[in-house]
Amino acid sequence: MAVTAGFEVRRRLTWVFLILACGFIVILFRLAWLQFVKGGELQKRALENRLSVMPVTARRGIIYDRQGRELAVNITSDYVGAFPPEVKASGRAEEIAAKLSEILNLPHDTVLEKITRNTGFEFIARQIDYEQAKRIKELQLPGIEVVPESRRYYPNGMLAAHVLGFTGVDNQGLEGLEAMFDKELSGEKGKIVLEIDAHGREIPRALHRYIPPRDGHNLVLTIDQTIQYIAERELDRLMASPTKPARAHVIIMDPKTGEILAMASRPAFDPNRYSQYPRELWGNPVVRDAFEPGSCFKIITAAAALEEGVVKPQDRFYCPGYIKVGGNTIHCWLHEGHGSETFAEGVKNSCNPVFVQIALRLEEKKKGLFYRYIKAFGFGAPTGIEITGESAGFLIPENELKPINIATIGIGQGIAVTPLQLITAVAAVANGGQLIRPYLVKEITDPEGRTVKKIEPQVIRRVVSPTTCRVLGEMLELVVSEGTGRNAYIPGYRVGGKTGTAQKPGPGGYVEGKYVASFIGYAPVNDPQVVALVSVDEPQGYPYYGGMVAAPLFQRMITDVLHYLKVPPQQVPKPKEGEAPLPLVKVPPVVGMDREAAKGQIERAGLKVRLEGQGNRVKAQVPRPGVEVPSGTTVILYLEGEEGKPKVSVPSVRGLRLQEAAEVLEAFGLNLVPSGKGRAVEQEPPPGAGVDPGTQIKVRFSEIFPEDKGP
Amino acid sequence: MDFILLALVLMLCLISLVVLTSASVSIASDPYYYAKKQLLWFVLGIIGLALVVWIDYHQFRDVQWYLYGLNLLLLAMVLFAGHEAKGAQRWINLGPFLFQPSEFSKLILIITLACFLENRKLERWQDFLWPLGYVLLPILLILKQPDLGTALVLLAILWGMLFFAGANIRILLGGTLAGLVLAVGLLYCHFHYGLPIPLKDYQLRRLVVFLDPYNDGQGGTGAGYHIIQSQIAIGSGGWWGVGYCQGSQVQLNFLPEHHTDFIFSLIGEELGFLRSAMILLLYFLIIYRMLQISSEARDPLGSLLVGGVVSMLAFHVMVNVGMTMGVMPVVGIPLPFLSYGGSSILTNMMALGLVLNVYMRRKKILF
Repeated sequence: MAVTAGFEVRRRLTWVFLILACGFIVILFRLAWLQFVKGGELQKRALENRLSVMPVTARRGIIYDRQGRELAVNITSDYVGAFPPEVKASGRAEEIAAKLSEILNLPHDTVLEKITRNTGFEFIARQIDYEQAKRIKELQLPGIEVVPESRRYYPNGMLAAHVLGFTGVDNQGLEGLEAMFDKELSGEKGKIVLEIDAHGREIPRALHRYIPPRDGHNLVLTIDQTIQYIAERELDRLMASPTKPARAHVIIMDPKTGEILAMASRPAFDPNRYSQYPRELWGNPVVRDAFEPGSCFKIITAAAALEEGVVKPQDRFYCPGYIKVGGNTIHCWLHEGHGSETFAEGVKNSCNPVFVQIALRLEEKKKGLFYRYIKAFGFGAPTGIEITGESAGFLIPENELKPINIATIGIGQGIAVTPLQLITAVAAVANGGQLIRPYLVKEITDPEGRTVKKIEPQVIRRVVSPTTCRVLGEMLELVVSEGTGRNAYIPGYRVGGKTGTAQKPGPGGYVEGKYVASFIGYAPVNDPQVVALVSVDEPQGYPYYGGMVAAPLFQRMITDVLHYLKVPPQQVPKPKEGEAPLPLVKVPPVVGMDREAAKGQIERAGLKVRLEGQGNRVKAQVPRPGVEVPSGTTVILYLEGEEGKPKVSVPSVRGLRLQEAAEVLEAFGLNLVPSGKGRAVEQEPPPGAGVDPGTQIKVRFSEIFPEDKGP
Repeated sequence: MDFILLALVLMLCLISLVVLTSASVSIASDPYYYAKKQLLWFVLGIIGLALVVWIDYHQFRDVQWYLYGLNLLLLAMVLFAGHEAKGAQRWINLGPFLFQPSEFSKLILIITLACFLENRKLERWQDFLWPLGYVLLPILLILKQPDLGTALVLLAILWGMLFFAGANIRILLGGTLAGLVLAVGLLYCHFHYGLPIPLKDYQLRRLVVFLDPYNDGQGGTGAGYHIIQSQIAIGSGGWWGVGYCQGSQVQLNFLPEHHTDFIFSLIGEELGFLRSAMILLLYFLIIYRMLQISSEARDPLGSLLVGGVVSMLAFHVMVNVGMTMGVMPVVGIPLPFLSYGGSSILTNMMALGLVLNVYMRRKKILF
């Protein structure tokens, strides 16, 4: 028979012993680690396990305007919650799921999965309506509770939507001030704690505590609901007009404190139903989207030049219609040129060669000087306003800067700024030279209305001297009383401002037919109460100039605002005789009307009538219906001829500037649809074609005019 | 008779009765419900032990193939006439109680494999094919039930007995390593590329979920739930535990199966570190004593029999305790002598009988 276990097996036994001993030691260490190192944490988990927590939402803080009017409030709605252990213990999960899914219009499987989950508490549906809540309460389903919770409501709908933002289903701030001040507004959730076993049965004599929620703090904004309303009313009017821009923005600010009085954009959204609007609309475009400011930026150029003394108001300039910088030619918007003019007149005329020169003078005086001012005015950095997603705009990096860039930046091209940056910079000019931080929240108060925090105006830095500002202010006043900004003139108030019309840059250069028309101004010039920016993005058709699209809006809006703020009217230098802006009137639609009726209607609107052709019916009209023209303008009506249609031979507008082309075509009874900037190079239909009166003639303008090819 | 070994095991049995009383409070109206049934099984187990001790283990040689055949027959019967519970078909209904052949298959395998390996040379890799095939047959039948845990125990028994039988250590370790790599690779491919594996999805999930129980696709309420609750229970224990019948994890039923596979979690929570460590020490002493008996065995057959029992016992303890603490996969095997369960108690008692049998016949008995 075999011998007893040999040497080999004995040695193996030693190994087995060692391996097992190691295994036991590892397990002991793990045991010690769990019980001592992780012990505290795991004990807490054990406690959490047997505590069932029902959330009690805190009341979210209210958002008030500066006068204490409510902009965002709370209304009560109900939610349906489930205690899965209790549902499971009842053994009626299937039945409960069926009933709930029927009432709440939710998929049966989803409900069943939720109410049988391995957790203590689950939300089934939030913000249900009254009828659903009532039906569920009546059913008295085990483990199912209907609990009231508060929901955000914006009583004014779209008003100030971009400023306020909105909250999600858990009342958490998602956009705007709701997101930025979520911590202050939301407070702390309370809870009801029950001790339960794994099947959800309450344990007798167990913990049962109510931890009350701490309600959120209120916000008092710098926004004035009335001013905000005025701004939005004007924006809505603009959006509905034939100009029908893609977007439009308004900011109104107190230039002395930086308080934003109104901030609005179109298109907007209703924060009560934010999910029904495209996501791109949610953000606040006046801080998010940068644009090329165009002529509005000339205020900054002028301020820097005056401060540095490189130019005096009475210095003389000559504008031949263009200026050469290095190998490049920059045109003035007025093709013939402004001729001899003072600097003050140059500002009034928004003359490009003047601003190109002073920008270059600054650079000549000291390299980087102009940029230093641009940065000092706050460009290239966020303003620090309490809105998420603020952009810094765009500055060409200083080391890549060429003289041509300095020259174009002087007239507001080759730089991108946000509307808020622009108004903050101009506010500095208005308030005597100090850059201030724009802000939206004036005060934070607790639920009892006591002040928790007061936000004071904050001066960032002095940029230019009060003298410079006074001198520049007077020039800007001339812009409004005599220059390109005449449509912003408000009787009884001294208004200073600047127009801007910039072609929109796109991939590979400027996009034809796409403009940003803007107007920025403040009033009264000697003691500014408000500074306002109107920016109209992609106005349709003609006119698209800032002075014609944005300035009238500014005028209507600020007139109301000054009256509302009870700013006393003052003696105002009268606008130049004969150049007083005529009130704009809308051309009424008369096509298809009887001749005499049409004539009467046009004359009643304050316009003159010229009849073309014979007949009794109006077949076409120029200008188009809905266009705003100065009163006294002649409207041409084409009548239905007996023998057919009087054809018009299309004139050639080749080589003409836009204004000229418009006049020529108008004389022929044709409507101009322009695109591009500069001189006419193409038209459709071509010259000589016979068309019906009132036909739209598409004309393409270009800065590059092929001289050699034309006749 | 080795009374030290017997005493050590009886101490475990006593602890089992005490602990099961605490476990019953929350799941049965009679707190002694499980303790009473367990006591009955202990008594039956001792009878089984006596029977096994009474037969001279050398007689197994003559019936080894009958036993092997019987084993396969019982396992096959389960598949056709078995009683289904908890999604698996593991039991045969014997009237008053359910009989679980896969438990006994471990014991039968130890006996038959010992006879099979006795005097077998295990030097070349080809030599390993026969024992592998020998064990693979019952394993496949058990996997079919499905009972992954027991299948793995059989593998562990095979490994341990090959080791005790003096198999070429390089081939044994190399093969083990290759097997592990293959298993891990298969699991990886299954979860990342959807490679089909003929096992239930919940079993596969349990094999890997212990690595990160909160990442079970349901935030720790799915396959990871047991591990998380078990660790919470043990972690709450501290030095002295939260007190007998006082564990909230156990008493409030957050930890299911706390009378069977997760009984060690209950011990950790209610009795604390010191007593848990004592219990682990008891197991260690039992295994140590068995190793001694193995070395004193009269012949390789006896040595192998004890080696098989040691392999089974050690694997059960390590994997079960490791599972409750999150260092081993959840494969669902009971803790010997402590977990509630008739077949398990009977099997372990009879295995103990096998060891005592070898001990009693360690010297040539002269008549």
